[in-house]
Amino acid sequence: MQYQEKNPDALVDMIDIHKYFGSVQVLRGVDFHVDRQEIVGLLGDNGAGKSTLIKVLTGFHSLTRGQIYFDGDAVNIESPHDARELGIETVHQDLALVPLMSIARNFWLGQEPTYEVGPFRFLDKRMMASESIQALADVGIHIRDPEETVGTMSGGERQSIAIGRAVYFGKKLLILDEPTSALSVGETQKVLDYTIAAKEKGMSVIFITHNIRHVYEVADRFTIIERGHKLGDFYKSEVSENEVADMIVTGEIPERLRLYDEEAVGD
Amino acid sequence: MMQAYLENKHEGRNIGLLITFIMSGLAVLGLLVALMVALGWMPLGERDNIPRWSEGLNVYENIVMIAALLYALCCARATYGLYIRESASLRWSQWMLFVTAMLGGVILLSVVIPVGLKFSLLLGQNIDLRALINENQLAAASLAIGEGLISICLLVLALLALLALFVFLIPPLEVLRHTEGIRLIVAPPRRLIQAILIVFAVGIVFMLIAGIYAVPLYPGVTKIRDVEEHRILAGLLIFLPALYGYRQVRQVREESDELRRAVALTPGKFIRAELAKSPSAGAIIGFIAIFMAFTMATDLFLEPSSIASFLSNVATKGVIAIGVTYLMISGEFDLSVGSILGVTALSFMLFMTEGAPVVGVLDPIPAAILAIFVALALGAVNGILLITTGIPSFIVTLGTLLAYRAITLVAIAGGRILRYKDFYADFPVIGISNIIFVVLSVIGLLLVAFTGYRVLPVLWRLAAQAWSIRSDNGDFGTSGAIVRFVIFLVVLLIMAAIVVWLVAVFGYHISASGGQLVEVGYFDLFNGRVLSIGSEGDFFHLDIPRDANVRLAILWWFIFVVFFHVILMNTSFGNSIFAAGGNQGAARAQGVNVDRVKVQNFVIVAVLTGIAAIYETARNPGVDPLKGQGWELEVIAMTVIGGALLTGGYGSVVGSLLGALIFGMLQTGLVLVGIESRLFTGTVGVIIIAAVVLNTFVRGSQQN
Repeated sequence: MQYQEKNPDALVDMIDIHKYFGSVQVLRGVDFHVDRQEIVGLLGDNGAGKSTLIKVLTGFHSLTRGQIYFDGDAVNIESPHDARELGIETVHQDLALVPLMSIARNFWLGQEPTYEVGPFRFLDKRMMASESIQALADVGIHIRDPEETVGTMSGGERQSIAIGRAVYFGKKLLILDEPTSALSVGETQKVLDYTIAAKEKGMSVIFITHNIRHVYEVADRFTIIERGHKLGDFYKSEVSENEVADMIVTGEIPERLRLYDEEAVGD
Repeated sequence: MMQAYLENKHEGRNIGLLITFIMSGLAVLGLLVALMVALGWMPLGERDNIPRWSEGLNVYENIVMIAALLYALCCARATYGLYIRESASLRWSQWMLFVTAMLGGVILLSVVIPVGLKFSLLLGQNIDLRALINENQLAAASLAIGEGLISICLLVLALLALLALFVFLIPPLEVLRHTEGIRLIVAPPRRLIQAILIVFAVGIVFMLIAGIYAVPLYPGVTKIRDVEEHRILAGLLIFLPALYGYRQVRQVREESDELRRAVALTPGKFIRAELAKSPSAGAIIGFIAIFMAFTMATDLFLEPSSIASFLSNVATKGVIAIGVTYLMISGEFDLSVGSILGVTALSFMLFMTEGAPVVGVLDPIPAAILAIFVALALGAVNGILLITTGIPSFIVTLGTLLAYRAITLVAIAGGRILRYKDFYADFPVIGISNIIFVVLSVIGLLLVAFTGYRVLPVLWRLAAQAWSIRSDNGDFGTSGAIVRFVIFLVVLLIMAAIVVWLVAVFGYHISASGGQLVEVGYFDLFNGRVLSIGSEGDFFHLDIPRDANVRLAILWWFIFVVFFHVILMNTSFGNSIFAAGGNQGAARAQGVNVDRVKVQNFVIVAVLTGIAAIYETARNPGVDPLKGQGWELEVIAMTVIGGALLTGGYGSVVGSLLGALIFGMLQTGLVLVGIESRLFTGTVGVIIIAAVVLNTFVRGSQQN
């Protein structure tokens, strides 16, 4: 169908992605791409396959069929570690932080700075503390004490720290999976600010949500997923907030856009 | 009220003056205590086993004297602060009153605990009560109760006199400014009722003590310390006013910003906040409480031989508890350690006596290493089973608990015991050259030097930093800085002591006849009595009393605790253990290989269990088929008392150490006070629940 050729300018190009869990076909030939320094809103109702698509990209699930290009090269992402190596950082909906660990330890989890004493490697705690404060302050998150446990903080603060960490470590692509679903209005606004900060840092962002209101303000483009298929890509200039909301609910492209979309596809 | 006083308002005057007055009284009291101790009028701890520095004061007396002087100084400072209406003095007075209440409470407890113990034993041993009557000694008891009644009358009189004195003392103070002061005592009748109730309670307790004191008739109960009832009055006199004063000061929490800052940190809050930082808070409190209780209950507890005996008893289990803590932090636990211990001990014994399959009969050290590899394999089986099948670790290790036990049951047929002595007449000995000890002491010196090089400058810098910003840290800035200097000094002194000891060892062995080998028992190297290692037992040059059973395993245990603590807190492996137990999904998402961490922890538990098995076998060279049975739950109990969460993600190695120490103290202490050892398991059960409740409580205060 469309986009069979690899798109040379895109940072991520996922072509014809299929993912079956046993006999359940969750993704049935989805094409998805992210350009450089672009914020993409990945939208769809619950169960549409947004999270599965992202988990394929971040190595949590292996794909059944399809090809992923990252930075122009065909890649084979088999574990979260591989995705990290490529420069993809993800803030998962439910698996962001360890509540009983301190902020500094959470921040550096999986890639702790160490110093060597003979054959032993010890955590560089002073650097862990100072650097995590500094890094979080850079994206506008101010914490009191890096030794405070994450469990004592509010949902918004935790989400901020998870995003701050992803922005700090992310080199190319930042994926936010439903980052605003449990947040207050003020906290949501903060998350949107961090998203823009990441874009200004030169990263691309995939912002997954089922609530268009949370992302319309910052996204450059919307990709709507509907029951395992892609409904379409829409630049912000083309559509209104309400049209996007309608599409997510009804799963149909409005009359006005359908023609335009077909032209864009080139059929 | 207080802050009204400090703001020079009218209505707070009475309470303010009262507290100022109490503080000045306490300052005088502190000075008096120091003076009395210094002049030898107030002997503390007449027991023989408290080391005396010279013919003069003993250690306790010196400590109390210094503390009393400091205390008087602080009280005077607080009084002055209150006098000049300095807001920070509120906090000072809080602390002083808090400490005073604690002191009084401890004095009270030192009477109440032995009395309670004696009383419970009295109730429990009804047979002896009958014997009592037979021997016509009931008369003595009733006489004692009669004496008690007389003394309660005297006491009531004394207390009334004291109350009157108190009432008479306040008005002159108050009349200076205002006549309102009398209301404090008279107006609310609630206080009067309280006072009467307290007097009655004191009377009843006093009678009880007098009664029990006069009945020292039980053969098994004589080990409980004699009750010194004169302390109860002193304790009450210190405890109640201080508690009352503390409650008065603590209530202040109103408008003025400066004042709110001054009172924000009440001692209770401060201590809770400090404790909440550590996962083993419950264990720390429990350790102090149980240690104090046993010290107060019996004279036999604080003796080197008792302490050495309980340390030796729990050292092997403590080693396993370290591993179980690791495993529990990563969200799993291991029921099979007891069986692994049995299998390892059996393999160790078999390798030495009947020989291993390929290599034949082995010397103890290779046999120990091979046996530990057997344990490692068993642990790896546990871990791999868990990861590949996804069955909960409870089921997996319950299965292996039974399966591994079958190995020892099958290998040692008919319930006999495999004894080393059945094969060889003598325990194996190894010839060790003095040069090895010389080298070891040099390595030790180098290690100390390296540690000092890394740690001391950091400590000094911290102290200097605290000193340079002491004025920014409020009233406690200076004392905080002093505390840091003291910590630096203590570490320095400990290091110096180790250096002196190592130099002595070095000197002894280098001057000994070179080249000639010294014979040491192999088993003694693993877990021998420190004093009997080597020909004259002075290999280690340690100054330990002869009757103290200090085993080498204690040393190994402490080394393991330090080693595994550093790994847990200071490496990325330790970080991934916490993450694996705290939130598996998050750990995976951050690239931690959770499965590998869990298998590694199962292996660590098994290896430590293997090491413990070697210690146990070395202490008593023989294996029976049920060796280690029941250890798994004891070790889990130690870990849980130490603050680890069964659900994972929380815990500490130091906590496991404290848990094991609590366990050992109970085991030894209950016997020492004369309570039947059958009550031990029940006591441990209560302690576990209490410790977990305490841990949850302290952690809860951290969340707020």
